[in-house]
Amino acid sequence: MSALSQLNIIQVNGLTKTVTTVEGDLTILSDISFNVKSGDSVAVVGTSGSGKSTLLSLLAGLDQSTSGSIHLDGAALHDLDEEARAALRADKVGFVFQSFMLVQSLTALENVMLPAELAGSKNAKQQALELLEKVGLSHRVGHYPSQLSGGEQQRVAIARAFIGTPKILFADEPSANLDSKNGRLIESLLFELNKEHGTTLILVTHDEQLAEKCQQILHIEAGQLVTVKESEEVQANVG
Amino acid sequence: MWAKLALKLFSREFKRGELTVISAAIALAVLTVLTLSMVTDRIGQSIAQKSSAFIAADRVLASNHQLPTEYLQKAQEQSLRTAKITYFDTMLFAGDEMQLGSVKAVSDSYPLKGELKVKTRLTSDAIVTDEVPKTGEVWLSESVFYALNIQVGSQVELGAATFTASRVVAEEPDAPFNVFSSSQRILINERDIDATQVIQPGSRVFYRQLYAGEQSDLDTFYAWLKPQMKENQQWYGVKDRQSPIANSLNRAESFLLLAGLLGIILAAVAIAVSAKRYCERQYDPVAMMKTLGGSRATIRKIYLLHLSLVCTMSVILGLVIGYSLQMIASDYLAQSMGTELPSASAKPWLIAVSTGVICAVMFSIKPLLDLFDIPPLRVLRRNLGDRLLVSKIHLAMSALTVFLLMWLFSNNIKITAILFTSTAFLIVVLFGLSKLIFGGGRKLGLSPGNSWSLAIASIQKRANVNAVQLISFALAIKLLLFLIVLKNDMISDWQSQLPADAPNSFLVNITEAELEPITSFLAERDMPTSDFYPIVRGRVNAVNGELVAREVSLEDNEKKDEEARSGIGRELNLTWRAELPKQNELIDGTWFTENSVAEASLEESMLARLDVELGDTLTFLIGAQSFDAKITSVRKVNWNTLKPNFFIILSPDVLQSFPATYISSVRVNKDQKREFSELLRQYPTVNAIDVESFIKQIRSTIEQVSLAIGFVLAIVVACGALVLISQVQASLGERMQEIVILRTLGAKGRLIKNATLYEFLLLGFTAGLVAAVVSDVALLIVQKQMFELAGKLHPHIWLIGPAAGGLFVACLGYLMIARTMRKNTQGLLRSLG
Repeated sequence: MSALSQLNIIQVNGLTKTVTTVEGDLTILSDISFNVKSGDSVAVVGTSGSGKSTLLSLLAGLDQSTSGSIHLDGAALHDLDEEARAALRADKVGFVFQSFMLVQSLTALENVMLPAELAGSKNAKQQALELLEKVGLSHRVGHYPSQLSGGEQQRVAIARAFIGTPKILFADEPSANLDSKNGRLIESLLFELNKEHGTTLILVTHDEQLAEKCQQILHIEAGQLVTVKESEEVQANVG
Repeated sequence: MWAKLALKLFSREFKRGELTVISAAIALAVLTVLTLSMVTDRIGQSIAQKSSAFIAADRVLASNHQLPTEYLQKAQEQSLRTAKITYFDTMLFAGDEMQLGSVKAVSDSYPLKGELKVKTRLTSDAIVTDEVPKTGEVWLSESVFYALNIQVGSQVELGAATFTASRVVAEEPDAPFNVFSSSQRILINERDIDATQVIQPGSRVFYRQLYAGEQSDLDTFYAWLKPQMKENQQWYGVKDRQSPIANSLNRAESFLLLAGLLGIILAAVAIAVSAKRYCERQYDPVAMMKTLGGSRATIRKIYLLHLSLVCTMSVILGLVIGYSLQMIASDYLAQSMGTELPSASAKPWLIAVSTGVICAVMFSIKPLLDLFDIPPLRVLRRNLGDRLLVSKIHLAMSALTVFLLMWLFSNNIKITAILFTSTAFLIVVLFGLSKLIFGGGRKLGLSPGNSWSLAIASIQKRANVNAVQLISFALAIKLLLFLIVLKNDMISDWQSQLPADAPNSFLVNITEAELEPITSFLAERDMPTSDFYPIVRGRVNAVNGELVAREVSLEDNEKKDEEARSGIGRELNLTWRAELPKQNELIDGTWFTENSVAEASLEESMLARLDVELGDTLTFLIGAQSFDAKITSVRKVNWNTLKPNFFIILSPDVLQSFPATYISSVRVNKDQKREFSELLRQYPTVNAIDVESFIKQIRSTIEQVSLAIGFVLAIVVACGALVLISQVQASLGERMQEIVILRTLGAKGRLIKNATLYEFLLLGFTAGLVAAVVSDVALLIVQKQMFELAGKLHPHIWLIGPAAGGLFVACLGYLMIARTMRKNTQGLLRSLG
């Protein structure tokens, strides 16, 4: 592996995803190739049904590609079985979802601790408390998801995403279910923690303004990668 | 680490009530099975003990030849208790008076079961004694004292020996309920037999060896005895099919058995439904845990631990509640029946625990496997995994499990097969029917925004889910209707056998000359009687000209041995009659006509025992005279009625020339007792046998058994309600989503609530209607096959079924949805997660 490829935490080559429907095979993603450098923030944008979420699910190892390759921090994701992909996610990946996906029977603190507990970590509580404090929820640690507002639930989800100090964070429309004020708060938190932890951020969004905050923008249309560009903000900074 | 997480998740799920229904279902299955098994086991043992008292032992070895004493020694070595009885008839003398009596010479250990009651004076009360006559003593029945005109303490001569009549025999445990044989009893000690010198070569003597002990010891002994038994020896057990008490308790046992089986089916359905629901509610957390890196193995361990915990807790809970309930029920029954119920065996515990564990595992395994298979991608595609395929193998395994559990519980493959097949058939029919109902009729032109329209649309939209719901509802309603109607029929049948004016005394030994004045006496004083039957004592001596070699042919099959009844070969009570008695039903042949000559009508069991058939000729021996009669009809006799019944009825022509006495049963009210005594004083040779206490015992038993049945029914109703609750709860998730959408779109709460109410009303009504039809047909079969009740249709349940089904299901659904409706839309959204 070259020094260049070592810098690329994600390497995608010729990625294709086809599903079989009653009307025949349907190609959702076609021949997608790109790289992401370690510590970068990348926005995946496109219209509804363009294949953004499918790309995210393949990158995170939640689903398997039909062809092509994905290397995640050096690991050939496309060659791994479900169990190995789960182990890789536990080790290197964090998630934030549009619908929060908190376990309803666990408190905010326990939800944050969950990934660490699944990985067998014994010192998760302290780290979870610190993270909850960072997201401004130290007073809500014992509350259940149903007792929290949407914004609060998403902040718990963000704290949970960072507990294992993941190398890569996948966020699927993290502010789509929130009002603009809470949405902005969540976005700020994401970037802040991203910087703080040196995490690579892969963000699926419809929001052009949010996408512009990322260093790289992947534009997907009808399952194809239309453009890969550095954001204006980045260009401005470079300029 | 996973264990800590698993325990944390478990405790939270438990607190949130997610596990309540599945836990309640398992506990209910266990407690139903334990309570029913224990009560049935204890009542069963009590029946056996009561029945054992009828023969004063658990098993009897009978012969008309001397029995080897080594049998008794061998039995004693195998921890069995033994006793001996020798029967023979002889004359008893006291001064110039003499009386023919039936001698019963007993060993000191007699009786092994039941109680012997005696009186110390003719006028004193009967007391239970654990003694038998000492050497030189004779105990006589009251009628013998009167016949010989002696008092207690008088001397009597029996053969070559002289005895002191020291006690009055009031009640022998092994004197079956037979009004003919109890009047001239002579009880002596077996050591006195030789002194009497009555038994000579050629004497007609009957020998009995009595055995009592644990069933296993009896079985071991019989295994040793069987190969050595001679043709003239007969081994029989406790079943007394003519006892109304035994019949009632046997029926109750069948009912409890049936209720238990149905309870198991219901509990299994409740477990299956609640387990599926629980697992479905875990789809999102599992997908999330997998996404966060949880391995399949970790998730498997977490949920298997959940299953083990819920299973263990529920089984223990079920055992504790079940044991307490059966203690209460058994104590109450025992107290009311004035008896002590024996302790239950270990079997009910075993069956209950295995039922709980097997049900929990078998009905959770498929939903759990589905849960383990939930893809992590569900976090992005929310409906992924919602429609997992129904596994035919799992369906087959579940069906097999239910079948095996029913078999294990009932230990009766026939009943299990009938119930299982009919239930399976019902499910298939219902599934087809529901597809037809919910799949079709989509074009009902109701206006949008109307509650009925919304309800019908909702039913049609969830056609598959509703099909399952309809089946569950119908199954639960069917089983409940089935049991309630069966219970009512059974109890009313019992009550009809013993109406308030049931006869409470038998009058026997009425001579021809006394017949008219006694009949008039009773009629004038408003004491209702049954018909008066003439009785002539005689024997069946030959069949189709061949002499009957022995009493009963020995059967290898022990069951037949048990059922074999003594009476053939020895004297029988023969009667004649032109009309078929009311409590008899002709099942073959034709009843006598005016022109009938030398014809006989046999009770069905007699036909089998004599190994004869319609058209055969029987030779009867009465004293020294013999005559032939052809079997021209076969009767089914209701032995439960307290009216004279006969194994053999002859056409009037053959017996009329023989001297006869008459028998009848009469109802004597409390205020008529004095007048009745006057009658007996006027006719001292007439014997009156008071069966009031016997009737009281039957009534009390029936009342208590009815209570036990009601109690059991309540448990099964709880199982049925749980099925309905779990089914309604299972559909709540989807309903909540709909409610949120409708509420968000501005639908009024009333519209949603009414739509839900109507939807459940329609479901419950349809289920109730189908259930009523199916249960009525099933009742028709089961009443005849299992309970020997007259099968009949019950049109009222065709109305009650759908009405109660609709009402109950609608109320349940409405209550559950109303709770949801109290939350505001935002609250609903949050609770959906």
